[in-house]
Amino acid sequence: MKKETLKLSLTLMFYTLIAGIALALVYQITEQRIAEAELANVIKSMEFLLTDENNNQIVDNDTIKKLVIEKRQESGKELYSDGVGTVISPVYEFESNNVKYYVLTGNAVGYGGKVLTMAAFKYENGELSLYKIKVLDYSQETPGLGAKIADGNIQARFYPIPEEGLKNGLKVDKDAGKQTIDPETAKTEGVAKVSDVMTGATITPRAVANSINAMYKFLKEKYTQGGGN
Amino acid sequence: MASKISEFTKGIIKDNPTYVQVLGMCPTLATTTSAKNGFGMGLAATAVLVMSNVVISSIRKTVPEKIRIPIFITVIATFVTIVDLLMHAFTYDLWKTLGLFIPLIVVNCIIMGRAEAYASKHGVLDSLLDGLGMGVGFTLSLTLLGSIRELLGNGSIFDITIWGKAFNMFVMILPPGAYLTLGLLAALFAAISIKKEERAKKSAQQAGQAQKVGEAK
Repeated sequence: MKKETLKLSLTLMFYTLIAGIALALVYQITEQRIAEAELANVIKSMEFLLTDENNNQIVDNDTIKKLVIEKRQESGKELYSDGVGTVISPVYEFESNNVKYYVLTGNAVGYGGKVLTMAAFKYENGELSLYKIKVLDYSQETPGLGAKIADGNIQARFYPIPEEGLKNGLKVDKDAGKQTIDPETAKTEGVAKVSDVMTGATITPRAVANSINAMYKFLKEKYTQGGGN
Repeated sequence: MASKISEFTKGIIKDNPTYVQVLGMCPTLATTTSAKNGFGMGLAATAVLVMSNVVISSIRKTVPEKIRIPIFITVIATFVTIVDLLMHAFTYDLWKTLGLFIPLIVVNCIIMGRAEAYASKHGVLDSLLDGLGMGVGFTLSLTLLGSIRELLGNGSIFDITIWGKAFNMFVMILPPGAYLTLGLLAALFAAISIKKEERAKKSAQQAGQAQKVGEAK
């Protein structure tokens, strides 16, 4: 009996050992590629955020790439939270024609889990405004409803927002009670009009608005105190 | 040769893993919110199914009866992790969409079920064909289910707009829609196989009667 148990354990060990070796090999092969794919994803999003409406790049790709690789080690840490939204490191700083740009990432809870948003803020003449956003992770949101946030045209409803609109907190139109407003006027008042394009889903865009608010508060507190440049 | 072909084709309709064997319900219900997601999940599961069937069939004589389940699970989990790593490295966007569901392939009953019921008792080539057939059947089932749900819930199939917003039932993309569609499709498959059986019985009876008549003469 004892002998049989030993034999069975050894057999099982043999199989798991082979499995372990196979996994180690595949990991070795893919490790570099995975890191590159993740990095490429971040760089691609930042290039999009730092492109103006005429498709001109505000910051050139090499500068972005260099900074992303430089800050790679410190990514993923929680920097700030206002209870609903959280800001995640790193914060990237760029300067172009005396205008400062901050690119940072934040999340807030949506319908099924965290919704991750990357945003670029513009700091010019003491005014901190929201320049552009890109929603990076919405994998837990309901497809066809909340996951519609993936649409670039819907995300465009969230930017640009002047400081005036951000001061009192960015809201989705339903929460602001302004469902009849047109999208462009809404932005100046700090409202993201989404009820016409995301029928039946308020929770996901609300999460995006919450994370933008957290990022704004964080930048206001840590980076632009004292104002002016 | 005919038997080899039927090893492959049985998984598509006759022994369809989703609608007839009712295996692998977790990924079926969770990932079929759109045709694309269903298709992607089906392909990933097929890859794992084929590889694990081949390996399990080739080691079947060296695996002691008592510890066959842990060994099968080790083989399956290894392949799932390999697929996960490879997809993460080479098909980043698809990996992002399927994300959570790839590790879940480990507990997909189709793979364990075919390992236990088929691959551990049959040769390598047969097991390969069985895995391929079951995988294709699973992929087609998920794509069908996903297409119907996407069409009724979002007015499109594979992101191609069919009737857009003119007719949208949100419930179809939500979990209840998965149950409703799955139930109706399973009923359809059952109806088809009952019809087939009846027809086979009838023709067998007719043949029998003809024989009797022939004998009486």
